[in-house]
Amino acid sequence: MAVETQQGGAVGQSVRKVDGPSLVAGKPLFTLDLDIPGSLVGAILPSPHAHARIVSVDTSAAEQVPGVRAILHHGNVPRVPYTTAGQGWPEPSPYDTVLFDTKVRFVGDRVAAVAAETEDAAAEALARIRVEYELLPPILSPEEALAPGAPIIHDEPDAEGIYDASHNIAAAVDIPIGDAAAALAAAPVTAEATCEIPYSQHATIEPHCVIAYFDDAGRLVVRTSTQVPFHVRRIVARVVGLDPARIRVVKPRIGGGFGSKQEVLLEPVAALLALRTGRPVRMAYTRQEVFVASRTRHPMKVTVRLGATKDGALHALEMDVLSNTGAYGAHALTVLSNVGSKTLPLYNKAPHVHFHGRAVYTNLPVAGAYRGYGATQGYFALEVAMDKLAEKLGLDPVELRRRNYIRVGETSPIFEKIGEGREGTAQIVRSCALEECLRIGAERIGWREKRGQRREEGPWVHGLGMACAMQGSGITGVDMAAATLVMQDDGSFRLLVGATDLGTGSDTILAQIAAQELGVPVDRVLVYSSDTDFTPFDTGAYASSTTYVSGNAVLRAASDVRAQILDVAAAALGERASALELAAGVVRSRKSGKSLTLSEIGHRATYVTDQRQIAATASFACPESPPPFAAFFCEVAVDRETGVVRVERFVVAADCGVAIHPQAAEGQLEGAVLQGIGHALCEEMLFSPRGRCLNAGFFDYKIPSSLDAPAIEAILVPSEEPTGPWGAKSISEVGINGPLPAISNAIYDAVGARMVRAPFTPERVRFALGVIP
Amino acid sequence: MDLPEIVRPRDLADAVRLTGEGGKPLVGGTDLFVRLRKGAERPPFLVYVGELPELRGIHETEGGVEIGAAATHVEILSAPATAQLPILRLALATIGSPALRHMGTLGGNVVNASPAGDGLVPLYLLGAQVNVVGPARERSLPVEEFVLGPGRTALQPGELIRSLTIPLPRDGAHPYFRKVGRRQALLIAVASLGALVWVEDGAVREARLALGSVAPTVLRPREVERALVGRPLTVEALAELRDALSSAVRPISDLRASADYRRRVSGNLLLDLSSLASG
Ligand SMILES: Cc1cc2nc3c(=O)[nH]c(=O)nc-3n(C[C@H](O)[C@H](O)[C@H](O)COP(=O)(O)OP(=O)(O)OC[C@H]3O[C@@H](n4cnc5c(N)ncnc54)[C@H](O)[C@@H]3O)c2cc1C
Repeated sequence: MAVETQQGGAVGQSVRKVDGPSLVAGKPLFTLDLDIPGSLVGAILPSPHAHARIVSVDTSAAEQVPGVRAILHHGNVPRVPYTTAGQGWPEPSPYDTVLFDTKVRFVGDRVAAVAAETEDAAAEALARIRVEYELLPPILSPEEALAPGAPIIHDEPDAEGIYDASHNIAAAVDIPIGDAAAALAAAPVTAEATCEIPYSQHATIEPHCVIAYFDDAGRLVVRTSTQVPFHVRRIVARVVGLDPARIRVVKPRIGGGFGSKQEVLLEPVAALLALRTGRPVRMAYTRQEVFVASRTRHPMKVTVRLGATKDGALHALEMDVLSNTGAYGAHALTVLSNVGSKTLPLYNKAPHVHFHGRAVYTNLPVAGAYRGYGATQGYFALEVAMDKLAEKLGLDPVELRRRNYIRVGETSPIFEKIGEGREGTAQIVRSCALEECLRIGAERIGWREKRGQRREEGPWVHGLGMACAMQGSGITGVDMAAATLVMQDDGSFRLLVGATDLGTGSDTILAQIAAQELGVPVDRVLVYSSDTDFTPFDTGAYASSTTYVSGNAVLRAASDVRAQILDVAAAALGERASALELAAGVVRSRKSGKSLTLSEIGHRATYVTDQRQIAATASFACPESPPPFAAFFCEVAVDRETGVVRVERFVVAADCGVAIHPQAAEGQLEGAVLQGIGHALCEEMLFSPRGRCLNAGFFDYKIPSSLDAPAIEAILVPSEEPTGPWGAKSISEVGINGPLPAISNAIYDAVGARMVRAPFTPERVRFALGVIP
Repeated sequence: MDLPEIVRPRDLADAVRLTGEGGKPLVGGTDLFVRLRKGAERPPFLVYVGELPELRGIHETEGGVEIGAAATHVEILSAPATAQLPILRLALATIGSPALRHMGTLGGNVVNASPAGDGLVPLYLLGAQVNVVGPARERSLPVEEFVLGPGRTALQPGELIRSLTIPLPRDGAHPYFRKVGRRQALLIAVASLGALVWVEDGAVREARLALGSVAPTVLRPREVERALVGRPLTVEALAELRDALSSAVRPISDLRASADYRRRVSGNLLLDLSSLASG
């Protein structure tokens, strides 16, 4: 459906966010803003050791602390192997976790939990739990994990789904298409890059937090800061052994997720403490706990080898990945798969492709989902290798991309071969405006005039770099979203969605999608999201799925309701429904000109004739995952004396189909780019030789501040995705894939040093420059 | 965190008495509270000296400026008297963030005695005097003698800093200050260089350098300062002294950077002084 055929146009307008005014006024309640009388405070005893067996846990002194109400540990909690990753079914991450184990696998691993009347009592009790450990040698890098004779991190017999526990391999993927090795050997021109990304943080403003309490009927309510309320319900039920029908999960306002809350961490602990004590329990991670005990990006080393003809047509593409999943395999297989599945199709012309990867256990914090989900790591190596290839070919890097990227109507074998931990789904690209993105981006940054000029300003040398990326929109064969749309007696609407707004603005976008179909202003659609008692199912806010998957469900429900409205109006006006049109809150007959307002229709259906509830529930299961595309261009200045890199300008031109809410889409791009600049220039968790995180907090772990934000120019280049709601595709992740390679390539343009290990700190850049004459 | 009780003294004498009883002076708290929270210090009580008139105010004196120990960075940055001390303003403007500059004080920065103290760098360059009051007497000592090591000063039990006296430098000094690190705000320097350079007929007449974060205290590399005299401010001429400066520093490796990098960058920062030739 073309957008132009609709009048009134909620879609494509940067309307006021439905929750904007209340947020500005500080009204909405975040998870912990609700004060449930009689709440206990829950707290967790972390492991001080990276790798150890628990010989004994003695809680007798802790139990004597006044105000202590429950203590959980491996001795009194049933052992249920599960995964903390909040994903669809069947769960692709290994069941290698239990709530409390007899072994600890990283500094910060969960040893015991306490519920007490006050924070002080909880802290005091934790201090008095005596744990005897038998220390085991820690493994602090994937290379050590793979070494022959390495200690085995997951030696428990009841784990399921680990690829090769005895060699510390959580997951492995090997996808050969054609014969890449032979094609590389025969290729006239080749290029190779190995790039490394360290442990890094999502840095959400709000930490992970939860309140577990009982409703009037004695059911357990889990109010939690999550991206995946329905997965929380399913996993908590299984892990604590409670009938899911007795659990309600509520997602209130969320202070950011970026993937870190696609994870079920505190919820089962709080639930169990509540069940044991019969009291409400509040829990929240401290920032230090967020750093070490929640989730991080998967640190990776990715090697890309490219083979091309002399005119720059890619002929062979090889990608080799070593991923560090940390102590547990949350998202190990799926993030690993996405390193290839979200990158390699971009250059679909090569007949020979080999994707090979392993995700390895170490005794370090647990990695998980993080915006970009592996693609970010993959693009760093791929796009640096492309830059090298362009140089070898003597070709403009933009032109090299142009000769190879996937066009409308084309496919890639990768779509079918690599899915979310299993086979994927064949699909063709139906919309792609990358050509325009490249053209506009290059023009904005001044690519022709400024690149290769090495303009100097004292010790500062300027350079330009670029990169391309794509992502997906939801997970094919896995994601399903549903929406219920109800027309009220006054002709306004209620939209109930399982989709989870975590600050992204999805409540607004979904209201726009419905309003467009219903021919009403956005404020006539009241949105209620993510409450497992009241809203229909949704897999959750991840994998760039909400606008596309949940949006399609909303659009279907809205068309159904629209048809019902026209039926009621047809009966009332004595006309055929096909002669009626709905716009600006009025149904009008093209034939007779007679009309009825929506409120008249709502009133009639509710109270007057042929009474019924005008409503519909519709679902959308993701049959394909249309990729958004982006071209990234940046200008950096490098100080040769100190190695300091300054990003002077960053231009990102992206194709997300039709932007439902352009300002929100631009905001997603800007935020993702800044987060990517953090990866490129400053963010890195550091560890002691015994595996303790040395900078677990914002005092020593630096994310870019407002003064570091360069001018980021986000440009939306429209296309129209025929399978998307009103032509839309996703936008939330693609923007984070560009900064690492674009900045690395720009540094190379400026000073001739290839930065392949992130972050590009002054020290690393200075070292790469060698001695200056 | 259990915060110790905060006591508000009646006057300066009372403050000195309370400090003598073991109370810890408090002004902005931007260093002290971090330390209390970490458990690095457990004083029996805190003495809030931020409102004592003797510790406040910024005024011109004969040949200099006197800054009360409890003057905040923002007050110092906006005081007319400090217009004659551009190097002080350059350095203080890089401290933390607006919020920190509103709370933090120069007195606190001096007593904190961090090798990375951005306020200390200009005080070393300008040869500031630290004016101390104690139970028995007042005394005054150069900042270089006041700071003994990381977090260590010459303050005796019961003593407070009352003010800092900063002599005005001779006319014509070019000020330079630069802090190196991963980002722009709320940054503890990996290395910093401050300088005052007088140029005459295209050659250096006098140079004062002070480096932060590359030794146990802020450092004045006097040999390099002397060697600069007579040279033009060109990259080539400065490069000849780069190694000398690198060997004058005594850095450590920590989370933020290695000793090696700090050594090299100290030398390289010297080349940046060439920017003063044009400005
Ligand atoms: C996030 C953050 C960023 C920071 N960034 C920087 C930076 O970029 N550069 C920098 O140099 N510093 C920085 N600091 C450190 C700090 O802000 C400064 O050192 C500040 O000037 C301290 O002043 P204050 O008044 O807050 O000191 P306080 O914390 O109140 O006191 C510090 C110490 O001085 C003692 N003291 C204070 N006044 C007196 C007095 N008159 N007599 C005797 N003893 C006294 C106190 O007892 C205490 O031991 C930062 C701190 C934080 C938390």
